[in-house]
Amino acid sequence: MTTSELCLAETRPLLLRRPPLVFALLGLLTLAMMLINVAVGSVDFTPAEIWQALTGPRDASTTGFIIWNIRIPRAIAAVFGGAYLAASGLLLQIYFKNPIVGPYILGISSGATLMVSFVMLTSITVGWTLFTPFVSTLAAFAGAYGVMLIVLAIANRVKGGVTLLIVGLMMGYLCGAVSAILTAFAEKDRIKGFVLWQLGSFSGFKWDEIAILLIVGGAILLLLYLQSKPLNAFLLGEEYAASMGVDIRRFRLLILLCACALAGMITSMAGPVAFIGMAVPHMARLGFGTSDNRILIPGACLMGGLVASLCDLIARSVMAPVELPLSAITAFFGAPIVITLLLQRRVKL
Amino acid sequence: MNATAGQPVVEVHDLGVGYRNRPVLRHLDFSCHGGQFVSLLGPNGAGKTTLLRTLSRHLAPQAGGIRVQGRPLESLAALELARIMAVVLTDKIAPPLFTVFEFVALGRYPHTDYLGRLGSGDRVAVTSSLAAVHALDLAHRPFADLSDGEQQKVLMARALAQEPQVLLLDEPTIHLDLKHRVEVMAILRDLCRTKGITVIASLHDVDVAAKVSDRVALIRDGGLAAWGPPETVLSRQAVTDLYDFDKAEFNRHLGGIELRGAGDRGRAFVVGGMGSGALVYRMLTKRGFALATGVVHENDLDCFVARSLGAECVAVAPMEHINGAAADRAKELLAGCDLVVDCGFPVGPVNEANLALLQAALELGKTVLSLRGDLPPGLRPTGGQRYLACADAARLLEALETLTPRHAVPIHGEESPCTP
Repeated sequence: MTTSELCLAETRPLLLRRPPLVFALLGLLTLAMMLINVAVGSVDFTPAEIWQALTGPRDASTTGFIIWNIRIPRAIAAVFGGAYLAASGLLLQIYFKNPIVGPYILGISSGATLMVSFVMLTSITVGWTLFTPFVSTLAAFAGAYGVMLIVLAIANRVKGGVTLLIVGLMMGYLCGAVSAILTAFAEKDRIKGFVLWQLGSFSGFKWDEIAILLIVGGAILLLLYLQSKPLNAFLLGEEYAASMGVDIRRFRLLILLCACALAGMITSMAGPVAFIGMAVPHMARLGFGTSDNRILIPGACLMGGLVASLCDLIARSVMAPVELPLSAITAFFGAPIVITLLLQRRVKL
Repeated sequence: MNATAGQPVVEVHDLGVGYRNRPVLRHLDFSCHGGQFVSLLGPNGAGKTTLLRTLSRHLAPQAGGIRVQGRPLESLAALELARIMAVVLTDKIAPPLFTVFEFVALGRYPHTDYLGRLGSGDRVAVTSSLAAVHALDLAHRPFADLSDGEQQKVLMARALAQEPQVLLLDEPTIHLDLKHRVEVMAILRDLCRTKGITVIASLHDVDVAAKVSDRVALIRDGGLAAWGPPETVLSRQAVTDLYDFDKAEFNRHLGGIELRGAGDRGRAFVVGGMGSGALVYRMLTKRGFALATGVVHENDLDCFVARSLGAECVAVAPMEHINGAAADRAKELLAGCDLVVDCGFPVGPVNEANLALLQAALELGKTVLSLRGDLPPGLRPTGGQRYLACADAARLLEALETLTPRHAVPIHGEESPCTP
């Protein structure tokens, strides 16, 4: 064969020829955004004060407390929250072969909201004071998984992406209706807490929550990266993937569990954060010019972290000292991006 | 490649396929050898796709078993099977942002490491797969921008990149233009001949299948109606039964399907022979004429075409002089026809009787349309008789339209574009 001597080289878009360089650049930007998030806030500190708080001994000063217990956890939560939501969205878009699914649409968020509304608005959990700090987190997690399972059960019976979206939306309305009824009967001060939770925020993360976020989420991301080869095969559809040697059943379960764990974890701790899970994977795809998940998984995570940090910064600083709801800011970013993509036909429905 | 010796690559024994509560095919038995081209033929919904999906292990068999290279299909590990068998499906897929090269490289899945990195061997395999489907020039184009035909070739290249011994294809030529239809079939045949790959494909074109296949499976009525080489299996009757033909007929000598007409526009007697009549038969049938023809020889192309079109055909044994009995029978048929067409057959000693037939037509007062440039030797048109010489098929058509307007029984046209 003459063709064995001849061998085509792979050609890739500019950004892809040096992915490590691009990743490093994105990483630096994200790090810079984290530093800005630590430095900027409703209380003004001079750079020297911040430097001292960061490097000096941890004392009981207000500066040290604000920096270490409020701003740094929040900055870390924003980066990882954004990264996990983006990764989750990427997985779900591949799984459903539908470019506009995201954790927000598939019922993960509405399930979490439903369960949290029970915890925050009713007295069901009054006796459980022992677990109080974690009850709402656990409830959100359970709700996310529960509703996602229902949506999936329905999705298995009806084929077609648009149907699935409608099912997801309807589940959202149903959960919203229950929350609304609970709100009608709830006490005023509880309602405020619930409404604030519903708008999503990276504030109030505790260090042990951050630890869970980093360890569990990091492990899942690593696992996902190692699955990027079957994920790529999955882009051709289930039947092709199976014919190439992917164990479809196990793989499907793995993707869904991972996607739900990542999004469920963030939603239970930060509340529903809109659009990052849907829009960031598209930004990554177009930015890197590829569908190759070996590039997209780390790429989407870095972009997600960057975008979420930026949105959090805007939410905190634009109208300071009033903090804007995070989901409002992400929607301002995300909705135009999705609409633009659809209009340019870069994304097919 | 010796197509029959050695162990079969795919063996199917008493196989039943179908979905949970709906058996589709039962008691299938056949085996495919290395380098064979196997076509699955049958009407839509007969179960060709279901069978292919069972062979590719996407569906579990309901009964019986499949052996691949002598081993039970279910015992093969997923990656092992992927190195033996590759598929090309009908679903339209257009994953975004893939170049053709990257897309074909996905087919290296069972050969690459845990992250799917391409080694130099993989690049060579991708390149030669693209070369095998004549698509090297597409390598750097985005997959989603290709035409249907180009995508089909690239899909085949992706399957080839798996370096399979068996290639399963579901309707590989559906939705393709003629150029790509022919090209895809030629590529598949080459894969069998040069690479020894066993190709199992469901096909719609029975004429194409007859020409490329080593084995055909006729699938109908929940089972295998026939299996074997197309030369023995694809008879006129088998194809008619397979597709429930009513107004069409497969002719294995012609290697194609002839479409019958309504035959409600009067009856034409065609004097042909030596291949001169084939086109005229088809033209008249298409225009709704019922046909009678004679006198032709049994081995004449005209005889095959006329019979497939359902014409009443007077024929004599090959090489024989057209004798009195046949000529009389032809004259009888001719007398009952509304018009007569002379195809301009070459005249020789064996078919001189056909000239006499034309003379008889004139004497009977029939209108004779002729594709012959000038009067054949010995033909004597006399006053009142109509002998219309038409320069070509187009002129003949015009004359027909004038002489017999649709749904009007002939003849008596006052004007005609043909010169008397």
